Amino acid sequence: MLSPKLLALLVAKEWRELMASRAYWLLLVFIGPLVGNSFITAVNLYAEASGIGGGAAALAQGLTPLDGILVPTWGAYDLAVTLLFPFVAIRLISAEKESGAWKLALQLPAGLGTAITAKVLALLAGWAIVWLPGLIAVVMWKAYGGHIHLPETWDLLLGHWLRMLLSASVAMAAAALAESAASAAIVTLSFTLGTWALDFIAAGRGGWLAEVAAFTPTAALRWFEQGLLRLSTLLVMLVLALAGFALAAIWLHQGRKLSARWFKTAALLAASLAVIGSSAAVRASWDLSENRRNSFPLADETALRQIHEPLRITINLAPEDPRLMDYERNILNKLKRILPKLTADFAAQSRTGLFESGGAEGERYGEIWYEMAGRKVMNRSTTEPIVLEQLYELAGIPIPAKTEESEFPGYPLAAHPKAARLIFYALWPLSACLAWWLARKFQE
Amino acid sequence: MNEPLLKVRRISKRFANRWVLRDVSFSVRQGEMLGLIGPNGAGKTTLFECLAGLAPADAGVLTFRGELLPAANRQRALFYLPDGISPWAAQTVRWALSFFEQLYRPAQTSAAELAKELKLDHLLSSRVSSLSKGERKRLLLALGLLTPQPLLMLDEPFDGLDLRQTRDVMSLLRRHTEAGRTMLLSIHQLIDAARVCDRLVLLSEGNVVGEGTIDELRSYANLEIPHAGLEEIFLALT
Repeated sequence: MLSPKLLALLVAKEWRELMASRAYWLLLVFIGPLVGNSFITAVNLYAEASGIGGGAAALAQGLTPLDGILVPTWGAYDLAVTLLFPFVAIRLISAEKESGAWKLALQLPAGLGTAITAKVLALLAGWAIVWLPGLIAVVMWKAYGGHIHLPETWDLLLGHWLRMLLSASVAMAAAALAESAASAAIVTLSFTLGTWALDFIAAGRGGWLAEVAAFTPTAALRWFEQGLLRLSTLLVMLVLALAGFALAAIWLHQGRKLSARWFKTAALLAASLAVIGSSAAVRASWDLSENRRNSFPLADETALRQIHEPLRITINLAPEDPRLMDYERNILNKLKRILPKLTADFAAQSRTGLFESGGAEGERYGEIWYEMAGRKVMNRSTTEPIVLEQLYELAGIPIPAKTEESEFPGYPLAAHPKAARLIFYALWPLSACLAWWLARKFQE
Repeated sequence: MNEPLLKVRRISKRFANRWVLRDVSFSVRQGEMLGLIGPNGAGKTTLFECLAGLAPADAGVLTFRGELLPAANRQRALFYLPDGISPWAAQTVRWALSFFEQLYRPAQTSAAELAKELKLDHLLSSRVSSLSKGERKRLLLALGLLTPQPLLMLDEPFDGLDLRQTRDVMSLLRRHTEAGRTMLLSIHQLIDAARVCDRLVLLSEGNVVGEGTIDELRSYANLEIPHAGLEEIFLALT
């Protein structure tokens, strides 16, 4: 039973432990320059693309602060959460295991669940402070006259928050399983490298592997960076994070027999896989990007929603073929959001498609087949209007009349990153060091 | 005084193919100070961890006041203070004491009183990592004495303490038993055990080889030496 009073007491204890952690303070000192460097580079590049030299902006419509400023600036957090933050999370468990404090903690009246919850809450609070430079960057961008579209900004922040939660859960599970902090760090980094390898392999193979790889931390974050909130991604990341914390709880209960811990681990794995499997199939998503990059024009979406029959698309394009990347980004992912009964098959056998010219199979390379209610048509186009026209014809729906939708104007801004160097390279690290010193004094 | 508070029945524990504890059975009586003695490697710490539910026993049960005490409920009945730990090393003595005091409020004895009695009052601002072995032991004892469980298990409570501190701690523990608390102490210094404990359990190679007062053990060992001390009894039984 979770007692609020005990939880508050334990959160306060974990907060003190976090404040005593050198790893946390080093993360805090370095995050300023990391974010600052990303922000300054992004602002300069954005200014160049916006015609800082006096000329017209190259392509005003293509200039979105999400892509140009927010994603690269917050990209620093992806680096921090991969390479620095796990050590902070590991310490919260390993230090207690190695010092013997965990033997006392297990006997405290709060219970294991409350103890783990307290650690997670303290980490979340600590991470909120780590976010300050990123938030300062957003405020500075506004101060330069930059534009911010709140829904896509919140979506990006949610993605980074989930990324951190996942990282914390992996690190805590590793710390619970491993004998020492060093072993836990190796396990955590191996997990990260494993997900990178999965991303890389899936990019070359496609198919079910690509479906799985869509939920690796890096790939999952990419959806949020596109301004898309996919319920499946959100649920899978949450379930993975909770499973990591539960795994930590199982292995931190040293009073249980090893066989019981393995049994519980297997049960947790099975339950998590079942929930993840059903969560991954959820199609609901929201396009929160200002330029509606993840959606078809409204008239087309209304027309497409009239299609209730299952649609099967067979794509004869190799995973590394740029046409497939275009097709997925501009058509397939958008269609998946509109048509619940859509299935896509990837028929190409090779990675690149360069050597698929021979034989009957090779001659079909580049073909994209659409099948609905027994009717089949083939098209090689990866261009949105052509494919949509084909689909309307197949479904027997009239082509919708083009409507006057307000076009995304783009937000060119030729600004200099004023005061950014001073704030991120000098004031932030100095403030963090001062806060570190004060925290030590306060704890005495 | 004679009513069994805790009954330990046939506790066994195996690491790989080696039995560390084998059918260990004994009783702890209400309000007594029971000493668990045995040579290094006898299984004292493992037994304590099994009793506290911090390590799984392969067999055996505990009853507390006549009722079965499953591992999940142990922290309601007993508190175990391990030896050689250095908990929350970056925190101060003041914080550690206050943390336990708040957890178990209202405690029978205040943290301030215990700090004074265990001569920790001048160390309150020191970090746990900076304490000497004896100071750390005194802090751990204070933490243990702040807990409210009826039975307190202390692993090597006098290890690292000098003669005067040992005597002071013995008298402090005695006062707590007189106030109703029961103590189970693991002690490897037989002189200390003989001085402080009401009864003793002798553990050797994971087996209980004797249980009782010194007189009872002497008679059990069938020693010919009159007034044989605990050392002789121990050597005769192990």
